[in-house]
Amino acid sequence: MATNVGAFRPEELAASPHRFFRRRYVWQWPIRVFHWTNAISITVLFLTGLYIAHPILAPAGEAYKAFVMGRVRQIHFLFAFIFAVGFIWRMYWFWMGNNYARSGFPFFWRRSWWQDLFRQLGDYLHLRRGHVHLGHNALGGLSYTVFVIALGWAQLLTGLAMYSESNPGGFWSSLVGWVIPLAGGSFQVHMWHHLFAWLFVVFAILHLYIVFYDGQQYKNGLVTSMISGVKFYQEGDVDHDSWLS
Amino acid sequence: MTAQRVVVDPVTRIEGHLRIEAMLDGKGTIQDAMSSGTMWRGIEIILRNRDPRTAWAYCERICGVCTTVHALASVRAVENAVGITVPRNADIIRNIMFLTQYVQDHVIHFYHLTALDWVDLVSALGADPAKTAALAQAVSPHWPKATTGYFSDVKATLSKFASSGQLGIFANAYWGHPAYKLPAEANLMAVAHYLEALKWQKEIAKIHTIFGGKNPHPNYLVGGMACAIDMQSDNAINMERLNYVKGLITQAQGIVENLYLPDLLAVASFYPEWTTYGGGLGNYMSYGDMPQNGIGDPSTFLFPRGIILDKDLSKVLEVDPTDPDQIREQVAHSWYTYPAGTEALHPWDGVTEPKYTGPKPPYKQLDENGQYSWLKAPRWRGKAMEVGPLARVLIGFASGRDDFKEVVTEALGQLKIPAAALFSTLGRLAARGLETRLAAHWLQAEFDRLVANIKAGDQQVADTTRWEPATWPAECKGFGFTEAPRGSLGHWVHIKDTKIANYQAVVPSTWNASPKDSEGQHGAYEAALLGTPMADPKRPVEILRTIHSFDPCLACASH
Amino acid sequence: MSSSGHPKTTYDVLRAHGVDRRKFLKFCTLTAAAMGLDVSLVPKVVEAMETKPRIPVIWLHGLECTCCSESFIRSSHPIAQDVILNMISLDYDDTLQAAAGEQVEEIRRKVMKEHPGEYVLAVEGNAPTNDGGVYCTVGGDTFLNVLRETAEHAKFVVAWGSCASNGCVQSAYPNPTGAKPVHELIHGKPIVNVPGCPPIAEVMTGVLTYVLTFGRLPELDSFHRPKMFYAQRIHDKCYRRAYFDAGQFVEEWDDDGARKGWCLYKMGCRGPTTYNSCSTFKWNNGVSYPIGSGHGCIGCSENNFWDNSPFYDRLTSIPVPGIEATPDGVGETLAIAAGVGVAAHFASFMVKKGLDRSRGRDAESDE
Ligand code: HEM
Ligand code: HEM
Ligand code: NFV
Ligand code: SF4
Ligand code: SF4
Ligand code: F3S
Ligand SMILES: [Mg+2]
Repeated sequence: MATNVGAFRPEELAASPHRFFRRRYVWQWPIRVFHWTNAISITVLFLTGLYIAHPILAPAGEAYKAFVMGRVRQIHFLFAFIFAVGFIWRMYWFWMGNNYARSGFPFFWRRSWWQDLFRQLGDYLHLRRGHVHLGHNALGGLSYTVFVIALGWAQLLTGLAMYSESNPGGFWSSLVGWVIPLAGGSFQVHMWHHLFAWLFVVFAILHLYIVFYDGQQYKNGLVTSMISGVKFYQEGDVDHDSWLS
Repeated sequence: MTAQRVVVDPVTRIEGHLRIEAMLDGKGTIQDAMSSGTMWRGIEIILRNRDPRTAWAYCERICGVCTTVHALASVRAVENAVGITVPRNADIIRNIMFLTQYVQDHVIHFYHLTALDWVDLVSALGADPAKTAALAQAVSPHWPKATTGYFSDVKATLSKFASSGQLGIFANAYWGHPAYKLPAEANLMAVAHYLEALKWQKEIAKIHTIFGGKNPHPNYLVGGMACAIDMQSDNAINMERLNYVKGLITQAQGIVENLYLPDLLAVASFYPEWTTYGGGLGNYMSYGDMPQNGIGDPSTFLFPRGIILDKDLSKVLEVDPTDPDQIREQVAHSWYTYPAGTEALHPWDGVTEPKYTGPKPPYKQLDENGQYSWLKAPRWRGKAMEVGPLARVLIGFASGRDDFKEVVTEALGQLKIPAAALFSTLGRLAARGLETRLAAHWLQAEFDRLVANIKAGDQQVADTTRWEPATWPAECKGFGFTEAPRGSLGHWVHIKDTKIANYQAVVPSTWNASPKDSEGQHGAYEAALLGTPMADPKRPVEILRTIHSFDPCLACASH
Repeated sequence: MSSSGHPKTTYDVLRAHGVDRRKFLKFCTLTAAAMGLDVSLVPKVVEAMETKPRIPVIWLHGLECTCCSESFIRSSHPIAQDVILNMISLDYDDTLQAAAGEQVEEIRRKVMKEHPGEYVLAVEGNAPTNDGGVYCTVGGDTFLNVLRETAEHAKFVVAWGSCASNGCVQSAYPNPTGAKPVHELIHGKPIVNVPGCPPIAEVMTGVLTYVLTFGRLPELDSFHRPKMFYAQRIHDKCYRRAYFDAGQFVEEWDDDGARKGWCLYKMGCRGPTTYNSCSTFKWNNGVSYPIGSGHGCIGCSENNFWDNSPFYDRLTSIPVPGIEATPDGVGETLAIAAGVGVAAHFASFMVKKGLDRSRGRDAESDE
């Protein structure tokens, strides 16, 4: 259950340090690897994608000497596949990993999940160190579900559908060709893919800020946790995620 | 007294959906007539709020038969509104494309849309190929395919086709109707040339493909043309492309001089009575076209601008389509509504609001006293006008232009008929042929002008200084026009905050096929039918002859 | 009469025209080549032409610009004359028909009665559905009725052009007449969509010849288009593709790049999102195609392409009804909003911290 933790008082830390800075290995390595390939590939994909939409370099000379647009597209596709593999890997790890790997799951049919969601929102808005978790809180989990899982699928499907267009009837086209009529046509697929690209930026802004804010507010070592896997907590902070298993 | 009502719906061998209802007196003469356009798409409404630079493409789809002309009028309207003067090369290329359309459209009209009104296909089956060859040689000494063998082949094709039992588009027509007067040989010759022209029309269209990328519906560009010119590039208009165009022009001239005109005059000579029917309004209008010094200088137009009233060739009046008092559209007999109390509107203030008040389909007849058409009724200073080849030729002639006088007098001499004979169904067909002759000639002249201009070092085809909408005034109005094959075409655009606030097209066939106006004045088709005797009202060849002489385009007319 | 007697096969008719067997075989080989068929299939073409009577075709015209008919008669191989005289029996077609009025409608009814399930219905244009269909009538009846009536006993339906296959210009916003493409009005019949505004002439005649030759419809994709002509995008076979890959683009009309024939991507070219044969067959017997003459593709064979305008921008309004903004516009706005939200939160956090500190308290405080 939720706990309201009292204000952090340095004199208490000095008196009983064991109540503070307990460590827990939260993010197993596959999560961390996924996280960073994901972060890198999304960044590269956004930048190369934007370039594809608005190519600004203008190489001089004969066409055969230059391959600027072609290269940018190749990079886009390369990272698209890195992104895709990571994505699939992460789905696999959702089952295979520890509870924290599942902690972002939106239990929207459960009252407790909604409570957690609004409480977290309230805590962030009131700038307080309120309710505490070791895994994801409901709000964070929801944002990953919406921005990463749903958006990731949308981007993968639209991207792969466009990718498949250069080889009609080929493997990718039989796999995801249905996306094009569903969207209404190829043009619409580009439009959606391009719009979705921006939603990743929106996510990244919110995510980065929240990670740093949350880390600072809760003193939980959040920022470094994605490198080491370890999060800190203090006595009374609840491992909220046992409910999942 | 109306003794009989003849309904022709669909009128075929035209573009679009036209219905004619003619009221005959006891003797079978047409006493009153209604011309009804029975389709409407609302292109003017669809254009609202769009980027004016793209309007040409929507407008071009008003019609695929006179493809090009709406695009041309549209880019001119937008250029006029935002203040762009296109480079000379663009003007010339547009002229070439425009003339290409003329030659193609007019030849198709003669052979494929109207010839069967005058030519009896079945009678051709009885023709003697040797005599046909002799006739063909006499009529057109320079046309190579005038041998007995050739005509035997055509005859064989025709008879085997007929004996296949599947007559296709030629089925159930009016063959053997007493109104057909051509001897069998002339019929066979005409049928052979129907097929020749069908083969050729796809060639001339390639000029559009070269400059505009495709035909039908070549591409235009606000500010000029998109086809860059570079004599040193293999990816632009270069020597190869120019040679291609040149070859097509030469070929077209051959077709016009050696096929179309001789056939036209030969057919016409058998139907002298048709110089007395089908005249109609007697009022003619032309906006003029074929700029030699930019669209802003009408004095240099090869097709002069002007108005002739009441068949009076001694005066050519001025027309100013931007004057709110001159051109106005009415909807008294059209399926539209205007704001209360409004009778006629200048296109810049034009309103397109459909309101169907006709009978519930399926219906047997329309009501001549009510609203009966999807066409508005445009009028010049309240008067109904005829536009098109006859109007242009008469205005060119009456303006004292030598080139017009020359072709007109030559043809009149050959047919041994007076100038007054031009005010007729046959006169309209003849005028179309004569202006095609001029067009074929001008094609070469424009081509030479293009080459000369390029030779002088000018390769520019587009002016992009006002391409970005940010460079435009917050609000502006423009008028664009052309003399489309069927007549004077005007587009009026009102641009507000870089978007189209109002767009109105008044199209040649809107003038000609218009219903009556609030004063009961007939449109040109209706007026032209009056007084025509019909031999067999069940088989309305006479109606087709006069209506076809205008080359109706109803998709254009109603848009 | 058009439909009495036994219809002849294409070969019968050709032979009757004095075409000998050698010429006939050559004709079949060319036809096969035009359709991109392997040589081994030529005997099939020969057989089809020898044994099949000319199939009756009813060609209806609805809300349209007749440009599809115009395109059709521009066909170079086969030429329109051959199609009309030797391959099909074009029994009804407003644009070319000799007869008019009642006589034409009579033909239509006759073909429907005498050849049920045998005739092909070709539709150019589409039908308005608002206000009972009064925006297009033929012979006093609505085109909607005529279309439904004629489709009922058709063997299959060919939807010519973008009008018939996807609605085209008259169905662009706000679609004043409620114009709908054929496949939304006719159900339970095989429909072949041949989009394009207009379609390429040889694509039109190619579709017909394929059906006549093989006695079946071509393979269709999910938009009911023949795969043989619509499987690939303009962009995949565009001769300017090398410039695209190189990154060399026309930046402004008539600039240096335009003269060199660089890629038109930045001028809004819709080649990357448009399925058609323009960059392979080209237009008017291979003379050029839009891009070949310097203007971008406007996507004229794609669904709804008129509402994807302006076609001088690559990406236009996002496909959300009622929102008129580009994906970049929407995206930037959302990103800025997120940034502002974050900044505001951070600012209040700092202010609070400051206040707490000035009150001599810790940053964390419970209410
Ligand atoms: C300096 C940069 C970043 C840091 C320090 C960081 C840190 C973290 C942390 C600590 C978490 C766990 C958060 C929690 O439990 O609430 C996390 C999760 C996540 N972050 Fe980041 N992040 C960074 C950049 C990014 C970027 C650029 C993206 C992609 C747009 C991204 C995507 C994700 C995703 C998808 C998760 C959920 C991981 C999972 O549950 O598997 N992160 N990040
Ligand atoms: C999360 C990640 C991604 C982002 C932010 C992203 C972004 C973009 C953007 C902005 C464009 C330009 C769209 C346009 O203007 O037409 C683009 C194009 C494209 N993307 Fe992505 N993309 C992502 C993932 C993917 C994936 C997973 C694929 C799968 C293969 C993919 C394949 C493509 C393709 C094929 C194009 C079109 C390239 C072209 O038209 O030449 N993208 N992407
Ligand atoms: N009327 C008309 Fe057109 C022409 N010529 C247009 O401007 O045909 Ni379709
Ligand atoms: S599809 Fe385009 S070209 Fe064909 S009739 Fe419709 S508007 Fe005209
Ligand atoms: S011109 Fe258009 S179709 Fe051709 S390569 Fe460039 S973007 Fe693709
Ligand atoms: S505009 Fe149409 S004609 Fe071809 S190149 Fe594009 S599909
Ligand atoms: Mg109008």
